[in-house]
Amino acid sequence: MKFDLHIHSCLSPCASLEMSPGEIVARAVAAGMGGIAITDHNSAMNAPAMAVRARKAGLACLFGMEVQTAEEAHTLAIFDTPEQALAMTEWVYAAMPKRVNDPDTFGDQPILSAEGDEDEIADLEWRILAMGCRRTIPETSAKAHELGGLYIAAHIDRPNFSVVSSLGSIPSAPDGTPYFDAVELSRTANADEWLPRAEGYAVTRSSDAHNLDDVARVWTEADIDRFTVAELKRAFAFRLTKPSPRITRF
Amino acid sequence: MTTAEIADKTGGAIAVDKPGAVVNYAYASDLLSDVMGHCGDESVLITIQNHLNTIAVCTLAGIEVIVICHGRPVPDDMAEAARREEVAIVTTPMSQYEASLALSELPPSKK
Repeated sequence: MKFDLHIHSCLSPCASLEMSPGEIVARAVAAGMGGIAITDHNSAMNAPAMAVRARKAGLACLFGMEVQTAEEAHTLAIFDTPEQALAMTEWVYAAMPKRVNDPDTFGDQPILSAEGDEDEIADLEWRILAMGCRRTIPETSAKAHELGGLYIAAHIDRPNFSVVSSLGSIPSAPDGTPYFDAVELSRTANADEWLPRAEGYAVTRSSDAHNLDDVARVWTEADIDRFTVAELKRAFAFRLTKPSPRITRF
Repeated sequence: MTTAEIADKTGGAIAVDKPGAVVNYAYASDLLSDVMGHCGDESVLITIQNHLNTIAVCTLAGIEVIVICHGRPVPDDMAEAARREEVAIVTTPMSQYEASLALSELPPSKK
């Protein structure tokens, strides 16, 4: 099964407004994905709308967010249900700056309705999702796992906002317990260069799509029966994931 | 201190100019949340964060000029946002410490 675990919807201020749940699902199905995860910056407020659209299209979907931690590292917390992802959102929101988003500076943050057959804006998120939260990697890892989710270090090859760029390496607890279930390579990362730097973690590759053309341009493949957190966890534990070829031309 | 003087003192180049930038203080940090928490306005920020989000932080904190260290490139989206938000960017081959020394006549920025 092929899957893309890192896709932004229009809720992310830096993402294109065309990234509605309905359009994302259509692109993922057309690209032959067996499953996708929606992961907006610090929020899963579009998870309910995503769940409805994915269900209608028969596409397996997981729900999460890209938490920007206190270390200024981007990390993915991914869950089976919108309810778990929204519980995580509430916990992240409690540690966000209490500043109101200026759409002209940062971008719009529409929350789409889970009702009806069309992608319609139900509300606008007022918090600045482009900023980080005060939760640390150890705290965020513990919370994601407590809520039954996966915790993945995003785009570890990137020069900004990755665990490696911010901390120099992939951290684990003092007793050696890993904080992360897997690490992610960006769409352009050279696997030959980065697999040895993944420190033995299961390696994924995801699109980190911010516009429709990038949805599922790269992916991860694993021999799993169902697209669930439990199955992915098993695939990660046994290092069964295989990243797709990278993109070398735009 | 003007943007041109900052570029001159750091042996750098102006990537995005802001005529009339007012720089009376300086702050050095690579953690944007730390910049948000401690850097006041009328400041130059010395950092290696060559990223779009740095511009967003500058608009919130009132930072006038960014000095990007170690010759890191300025991505197109960052330059575009800097022009739009009227934040100047200087790139320098210096480290953050060297750039701080070069601009040491500026008092520390405080919130």
